[in-house]
Amino acid sequence: MSAAIPTIAEAARQIAAKELSPVELTKACLERVHALDGELHAFVHLTEERALAEARAAETAIMANGPSGPLHGIPIGLKDIVDTKGIPTTCQSKLLQDNIPDSDATCAEKLAAAGTVLMGKLTTHEFADGGPSFDLPQPPARNPWNTDHFTAGSSSGTGAGVAAGMILCGIGTDTGGSIRGPAALCGIAGLKPTYGLVSRAGVAPAAFSLDHIGPMAWNAEDCAIMLQALAGHDPRDPASADRPIQDYTAALGGGIKGLKIGIIHHFHETDRKVSDGTQHGINAAIATFRGLGAEIREVQLSPLQDWHACGSLISIVERATAYEEWARTRLHDFGERMRTRLMLGTFVSGVDYVQAVRRRRELRDELKAAMADLDVVLTAVFAAEAPKIDDVPQWDVFHEPGFMMPFNVAGYPAMSVCSGFGAGGLPVAIQLVGKPFQEATVLRIADAFEKATPFRNRRPTAA
Amino acid sequence: MPIPINDAAFEYLLARAGLTLTDAEKAELKTVCDGITEMAQRVRKPRGRMAEPALTYGFAEEDLS
Repeated sequence: MSAAIPTIAEAARQIAAKELSPVELTKACLERVHALDGELHAFVHLTEERALAEARAAETAIMANGPSGPLHGIPIGLKDIVDTKGIPTTCQSKLLQDNIPDSDATCAEKLAAAGTVLMGKLTTHEFADGGPSFDLPQPPARNPWNTDHFTAGSSSGTGAGVAAGMILCGIGTDTGGSIRGPAALCGIAGLKPTYGLVSRAGVAPAAFSLDHIGPMAWNAEDCAIMLQALAGHDPRDPASADRPIQDYTAALGGGIKGLKIGIIHHFHETDRKVSDGTQHGINAAIATFRGLGAEIREVQLSPLQDWHACGSLISIVERATAYEEWARTRLHDFGERMRTRLMLGTFVSGVDYVQAVRRRRELRDELKAAMADLDVVLTAVFAAEAPKIDDVPQWDVFHEPGFMMPFNVAGYPAMSVCSGFGAGGLPVAIQLVGKPFQEATVLRIADAFEKATPFRNRRPTAA
Repeated sequence: MPIPINDAAFEYLLARAGLTLTDAEKAELKTVCDGITEMAQRVRKPRGRMAEPALTYGFAEEDLS
């Protein structure tokens, strides 16, 4: 492909210095889309004309007054469960093929206000189910590191699109790992913020109390830039937190000497043993953090299976609740995978649900106590490198407990950071989890790790 | 051990949920009933009647104006 793909921070510096034109940057991204998306399927709806018009408008404004901020003129994509005024928002479902919202989701509105260039809507699995699904209106996204392999879901198009350089960043949503999973398997960075930090207004629900909206980009610095634009109170979202916003980029580069990192060894070594490549990435990351001056401690929590059961029951019920009306009247218009997820709601009683929500309080209190004297905790994101896309089990919810759900249950900020490459040259990742509303600390540690390791210097061959 | 669901209970739950399934879907769904039951058992701990759920409604400032 053409020239090197810049990060947001690099592009912003070049745009500010008038060394890079938003129009040229957008055209370079479009060139990658045209060359690669026939195989990667990252986009469900490309807004090429709009992108070029927005890029030209950004260029004119920047030439006259300079950039309004680091996202001015930056090509982005939005997961196709994010409402976009006048642009189809299908949630990858037959039920919404003709849906054109009359207003933007808050996150879309905020990114537009920051001057971004919207390249289009990105592939998801139906209503943000984890996927993969092969019976939806459009095919599933493919992993740019090896197109026989899964991207993870459900923010699959965002993961593939960022990794392949078709966009510099995008919006993901995360109910049990749908930001961090695709970030991990596609070798990029993805941050699930604290519950309530980024508004959910205008984004199709998966499970109300577990849903998070967040940034996905090539590295932690770019996630920080995006989060600065996204965070903030929104009266349209009843769960939106009304509290001061941190400066997420200011702490980057400050070093991590003396910070305390707890390792939840039993999650990835006993409760669900990870692959050799993933374990090597975790061990090497711990050594890197120690070398950077962090203090490493051990953390013990309830078994991963407890967190998984709690989150899964809540997720099953809340999803079935959100889509109950269509399940009763149009069940067979859903794809098979979403249909089966909706059926599961039948078997969870009201008492089961409330027992899960009581367990949630206990687990959250447990994490709070465990992190009292720590800055972050660390575990795996996935148990292994990306599986082949045809090998993902239909009933993965009952297969093995996931490493990401615990932090949807707790609502704590959690980030996937590339920690190397395992079997077949596919990316592996670590998960860093911070205290509520302490995203600046998570990003600072992730940024320090990325700068101390070579993994951000390597892109998929296709890009 | 989870108690296996019988056909009558299974049909009752589907009817109550308002779901119309094919025989193949019913057969597949039955295979995962035990998984749900196991998760439901796992979230139950000896905690007594006073244990509160995580989502407990509280009045915010704006509710009081």
